[in-house]
Amino acid sequence: MPVRAAGPVQGTPKVLANGPDLVAVEVTVEPGEQVFPGHYPGFPIFPGVCVVEYVHLGALATAPAPGLRLEAIESTRFLSPVFPGDRLVVELDWQRKGGSWRCKATAGTGRGRAAAVRLRFAEGSAR
Amino acid sequence: MITISGIKRILPHRYPMLLVDRVDELVPGERLTARKAVTANEPWYRELSAGATDEQHAYPPVLLVESWCQAAGVLAAWDTPNPDVLAGQVMLFGSISEVVFHRPVLPGDVLEHRIRLVRALSDTVIFEGEALVDGEPVLEVGRVVMAMRPATELTEAAAGHVVADQAVAAARAVVTDRAVATN
Repeated sequence: MPVRAAGPVQGTPKVLANGPDLVAVEVTVEPGEQVFPGHYPGFPIFPGVCVVEYVHLGALATAPAPGLRLEAIESTRFLSPVFPGDRLVVELDWQRKGGSWRCKATAGTGRGRAAAVRLRFAEGSAR
Repeated sequence: MITISGIKRILPHRYPMLLVDRVDELVPGERLTARKAVTANEPWYRELSAGATDEQHAYPPVLLVESWCQAAGVLAAWDTPNPDVLAGQVMLFGSISEVVFHRPVLPGDVLEHRIRLVRALSDTVIFEGEALVDGEPVLEVGRVVMAMRPATELTEAAAGHVVADQAVAAARAVVTDRAVATN
């Protein structure tokens, strides 16, 4: 795996499956994640964008082509909160769209779906 | 202008997740301009390797979105500030869509968030806008839907959280079984 870029989350998603029928990763949101003291003091809730970041990292870990770069968040719906210690399971579905790749994902905890996310990635490192 | 102490009276976010430094312009019910300075001292850079490139120092895209949304939160809540997430009405982001990232944002850049309020219903506010660095767009935000909800929705979810541990194990078992079947 390439050197990780700067990011707000500290866990590393583990690939559970990366096959034609199922792509899935999981990660535990450790209580020691650095965002919790500020989000929020006395009531830690994992920020929705950090759930999106774990989807992003899960997408990079299962990417169907090398060198993909996040180009857009086409949509994300936040469905339920994520708390310290939750185990997030993310199921991903990759599709090629022209010169880009779309990744549709749902992230869930034991309480049900936490977020539905669609990301778009560009190929290559051209900027 | 709203300085940092004023922002902290409106938003519940605190270090290291308070990502708006100053509000330059606020037209109630209409628009807001705010700034956030990016520096290499933010904790997101702590674990980068010694030889990390500029590209690896790109400000995390999801935090650009978070920063923008917090600025939108100031516009939504400036006249009914509630920096306590455990009481009263709290801001929750329901959905974010059509967000496009342009050039990477690096330490030294100052983000200028431009927020426009598209529609305000009784408990839901919709925003759009962009973020610029030196006048150049780095982020476009098509639509953000923010909902004002009773804090009890969150505190009750947190209370149910412990009970859910067994369900977590069950959900994982299902995916693991499917993974085994697939491989």
